[in-house]
Amino acid sequence: MKPTVEDGLRILREAAEQAAQIRIELTDDYLALIARVEAMPENQPGADKSGRWRGGIPELKAALSRVRLKPTVR
Amino acid sequence: MTHPLAPLAGALAARSVRYVLIGVSAANLYGPTGQAIFATEDFDLFLPLDPANLIRAWESCEEAGLELWLGNEPLDRPRDLWLAEQMTARQMLTRVTGPGELKVDLTMVMKGFDFEGVWSARRPFLIEEIEVPVARLLHIIQSKHAAGRDKDKLFLATHRDALEQLLKKPEEG
Repeated sequence: MKPTVEDGLRILREAAEQAAQIRIELTDDYLALIARVEAMPENQPGADKSGRWRGGIPELKAALSRVRLKPTVR
Repeated sequence: MTHPLAPLAGALAARSVRYVLIGVSAANLYGPTGQAIFATEDFDLFLPLDPANLIRAWESCEEAGLELWLGNEPLDRPRDLWLAEQMTARQMLTRVTGPGELKVDLTMVMKGFDFEGVWSARRPFLIEEIEVPVARLLHIIQSKHAAGRDKDKLFLATHRDALEQLLKKPEEG
């Protein structure tokens, strides 16, 4: 059966409801991970983070523009 | 590559503006190059409820050649103490935009925290030799947990895995 716009809207509605119900807990394990990362030598006060930034949309677009898809044989 | 925050950070430091970098862009700084980097367009700067400090922040942005917005409108002029007091009283956000799709939010709200608590535990990191005060990773995560928006949940759902990968790598090498 061909999907309809209503089907699409229903799926989006259900996904939104599910996202609203997700509960992420800050468990002891997670907090311990955070403490370990904060304690790393490269994360101490005065650390040089000049090279850490690459998360912008322009950089993402530039990176994607360099992607070349290779055909695969199955 | 020049860090997009560097010119503004320099101007903020020159005017002794008190702020702390928070949000995903701050969390990114705790990850090493090439790992645990979450894409974001935004830099969120947490400011105290201090009108004079807010004015200095606006002046710094203008000095760095950035544009100030309130919602979809340019921030009113004169950008004086009266305006800063009104915005501080209402904890209103100033949106800052600039070259290369730079987007910076000057916010006076960090869910679950007051400014002094975050400021006193800040980590001063260096970006292109400029000291940038960054919130503790713990505070960033706790605030995202408290905010509980869908985008925060998505971040938290993946962040823990990213940290595990980050800590596992050196042991494997």
